[in-house]
Amino acid sequence: MSPDASAAKPTPQGQVSLTIDGKPVIVPQGTTIFDAARLNGIPIPTLCHQQNENPVGVCRVCVVDVGGRVYAASCIRQVDPNMVVKTNTQPLEDVRKTLLELLMADHPSPCTRQKHSGDCELERLAADAHIDHIPFAKRTTPRGHDDSSLSIAVDHEACILCDRCIRGCDYIRNNWVLARRGKGYQAGISFDLNDPMGDSSCVSCGECMVSCPTGALTNKAIVGQKLEGEAVNTDFLLELPVFKNVSGNFLSLNRHAIVERRFKAGDIICREGEFGYSAFYILEGTVDIYLSTPMAHVKTQDASEGWMQKLRSFLTPRSNQPGHEHHGRTSIPIDANVDLPLDKPIAQLGAGELFGEMTCMSYYPRSATVRAKTDCVMLEMLRNVLDIMQRNKSFREQLERTYKQRALDSHLKSVPVLASLTPEFIAHLKERVELIRYLPGQIICQQGDPADGFYLVRLGFVKVSQHHPGGEVVLAYLAKGSYFGEMAFLLNSPRMATCTALDHVEVVRIPGDDFRLMLEQFPDIRQKLEAVAHEHIESNRQRMALVESVPVEQFLNQGLMEAQSLLVLDLDRCTRCDQCVRACADAHDGVTRLVRDGLRFDKYLVATSCRSCRDPLCMVGCPVGSIRRRNSLEIVIEDWCIGCGQCANNCPYGNINMHPFPVQIEDSEHPGRMIATTKPKATGCDLCTDHAEPSCVYACPHDAAHRVNPPIFFAELLKQGTPATQGAPVEGRD
Amino acid sequence: MRIDHTHRKWFIVSLVILAVAVIAYIPYRQWYPQGVGGGTAMGLIYGSVGFAFMIFAGLLGARKKVPIWRVGRAQTWMRGHIWLGLLSFPLILLHGGFKFGFGLTHWLMWIFLLVFISGIFGAVLQHYMPKTIKERIPMETIYEQIGRVRGQLVDEANNLVEQACATLTGNLSDASVEQRAAAAGAGTMGGITVATGLQIDEDSCGEMRGFFQNKLKPFLEGYGARRQPIANRDTAKSMFDQLRLLLPSNLHPTVEDLESICEEKRELDQQTLYHRILHGWLLVHIPLSYAVLVLGAIHAIKALAY
Repeated sequence: MSPDASAAKPTPQGQVSLTIDGKPVIVPQGTTIFDAARLNGIPIPTLCHQQNENPVGVCRVCVVDVGGRVYAASCIRQVDPNMVVKTNTQPLEDVRKTLLELLMADHPSPCTRQKHSGDCELERLAADAHIDHIPFAKRTTPRGHDDSSLSIAVDHEACILCDRCIRGCDYIRNNWVLARRGKGYQAGISFDLNDPMGDSSCVSCGECMVSCPTGALTNKAIVGQKLEGEAVNTDFLLELPVFKNVSGNFLSLNRHAIVERRFKAGDIICREGEFGYSAFYILEGTVDIYLSTPMAHVKTQDASEGWMQKLRSFLTPRSNQPGHEHHGRTSIPIDANVDLPLDKPIAQLGAGELFGEMTCMSYYPRSATVRAKTDCVMLEMLRNVLDIMQRNKSFREQLERTYKQRALDSHLKSVPVLASLTPEFIAHLKERVELIRYLPGQIICQQGDPADGFYLVRLGFVKVSQHHPGGEVVLAYLAKGSYFGEMAFLLNSPRMATCTALDHVEVVRIPGDDFRLMLEQFPDIRQKLEAVAHEHIESNRQRMALVESVPVEQFLNQGLMEAQSLLVLDLDRCTRCDQCVRACADAHDGVTRLVRDGLRFDKYLVATSCRSCRDPLCMVGCPVGSIRRRNSLEIVIEDWCIGCGQCANNCPYGNINMHPFPVQIEDSEHPGRMIATTKPKATGCDLCTDHAEPSCVYACPHDAAHRVNPPIFFAELLKQGTPATQGAPVEGRD
Repeated sequence: MRIDHTHRKWFIVSLVILAVAVIAYIPYRQWYPQGVGGGTAMGLIYGSVGFAFMIFAGLLGARKKVPIWRVGRAQTWMRGHIWLGLLSFPLILLHGGFKFGFGLTHWLMWIFLLVFISGIFGAVLQHYMPKTIKERIPMETIYEQIGRVRGQLVDEANNLVEQACATLTGNLSDASVEQRAAAAGAGTMGGITVATGLQIDEDSCGEMRGFFQNKLKPFLEGYGARRQPIANRDTAKSMFDQLRLLLPSNLHPTVEDLESICEEKRELDQQTLYHRILHGWLLVHIPLSYAVLVLGAIHAIKALAY
């Protein structure tokens, strides 16, 4: 049809006729030029607009010539009657090219999306426009990356501020998480109140990622780890109850983040102490989950029997006081829905059960070895898939059901003060408790709030802290199997401390009414809880008294304030004879736990030896809870240490070392045959608590080595700012 | 061991024992106008007590071999070693009537005198040296690790030089012909372009490498290396100042780092020296002490038997 013929024909009511690139078209009134062209098969390039979103006209790539003074953005300019539109003239191409060059100057090329799938819309348009050289200066101020989300990688450098993600999040999904932040060069997208994406209220629906035209928001599966195994069909996954209601689109995008693994009976699925990044969901079969590391301390020398050994035993008497204190545990907490009995650390998991959550979510070392008991089929998944599963209601219900059936009983019983609970009351609690999940940094309960429940830690680590005018003081780190929230009930007061999730934490919450009922029905539990509570109150009081009395900056900077027991060497007296080191090695079967080196504070050398810190960071992250503090303050590493090295990495002072330990393990190539090898075990100073005095101090011939309580020992020095007199600082000795 | 007021009790007890021995000696000396000797009853008492003190002092070495045996704190043994060892010499002098005797006894006394003097020398060293080390060697390390630390210093200095050269080369390749010409026109000193502004100079890299290989590395690698001019703090300062003149200003922090590496090496050498002084006297004291104990035992047996 010719333009003349079209013009001659009357336009129907509510319709508009116009010409695009010489082609007469009729479209409904209110249609944008972009849509009018699209409906008539005329392509107009664009970046900030897509069909399912309201146009905003920010990128201006879709500009067209409508005969006006300036070019119009076709995505927002509505058609007018008899409008003549040109979309591909040379001047227009030049303008678009300049716009693309400006955008490319601000864009890392190739971006993540272009590198992995070659479908970055900006780079494709730039290539179509034959842009091979950018005449404009590159941005010099970095905008950064945000890797906090488990499923979506955010590269602010690649963002072109098209707002497609914001419109997708806010107007399509109605999540209202994304928005704009900043101005000028600092402009960018932000999550909630400019929080990291992982800490925001984002539900990982993936809409922003699907909307993004560049590599600014990409699926983490393409930048994360790769799994071995067969890719799983999305339809198959959606049929599983645990994936009910999960977006098929999302599962499809993450097809490389979940694979099916098949294991024959006897195959090792994962080993304790290894660092991993995946979790396993058992579809079929049964597995044994156990600790293969023998329960023992590190010994590097043979403790030979004979008269010499007897003489040695006689001359190195060990007392049962004050340090020899039993841990009181009956089970070992591991990264699964079961605890392992301490006397025989093995358990079974079956179909529908999950293990490796903490490894997957927080990259903790594997807490136990898992071996297929029967032929098994399981799904191995990365964090983004596990995260989606854990947000899924049906999976949560199944997890909670399994936990209550299998693990709640042993979990409650594993807490020494709750050991006397009757089966009837536990059955009652099973109906009442709830599993609650917290993200890293999220507050579980706040100081000053009314008490609403009692909590048991099922997964992760919880920081307990108190707020004081001078700042926050960390009281404790609680690992799996620990509890909190009882003090407020016992003292009928508001919460005395704030409990915060350090990583991905899951707690079992016993409602306040049920906890009160428990205290009424079981007076012995109340008594034990009260005793523990009083201990905590007293130690907190002492801690706060120290915080208020010691203001010296250097003292604090060196972490000495955190220490409860320091090995200090008076450098005016020490002749560097190393008798202390030899004594330590002799007292610990040839493995020294102290190094005569470290920080200096005035004339004292703070030797590299456990400080029994008030804030024992070493205890955070132990996958089996084998590092703990005794009541007599020293940190002790229990025999079930699996040698993952987490505590050694966490100690800020390098005072925990890994030492090889001879073991017999099953030869993976020849099942049934044992081979000799070594496994590392963590060692740290135990203050020689079996002796009246630490061996290092006892063996120093020059009166240079002292075990001291730092604030007391250094009190004079801190007050006067001058060195203490020789031989004087004896008051603080432990 | 630092000898301070904490030794007061030992000092008083030793003084009392010495006073009693001296006071007893006066009538004893009067009793034997022809001259006292070790064979008399009093002489035997002096000898036995003195030898017992010597044996106790000698047992310190054995005590150190079993540091965790609960047989008394090591510092108590050390105090005993110092004070009873010190006391044993006047007692033995009283035992022999201030005579060194003949033959074996003569040699024994001379060796004992050496042990006594070396012991006092050692006590003085142990009193003063730890404090000196603390004050003069702020970056003290474990003595056995000094060789390793020296190696680390060499690696660290080498890395610094290579990084600096990489920076220079990088600047050079990025510079245009006009920029290089402008830099070259800025001036020269000692045949090398003074690199200001653009901070490029090919010769600077060679200069730094040469300085490292010929002057710095030989000093860092060996203990002492006193013949190296850089071992002297003042000479080193002028050498580094000269190097600074030849290098662009953005590499001056690297030169400062190299200077501090040199300083650290000087401290390591000084620590080695102090450590050897602090423990070297034991090479004389310990063998001679064993010799005294053996010869003393032979002397006692011989004197009692014959």
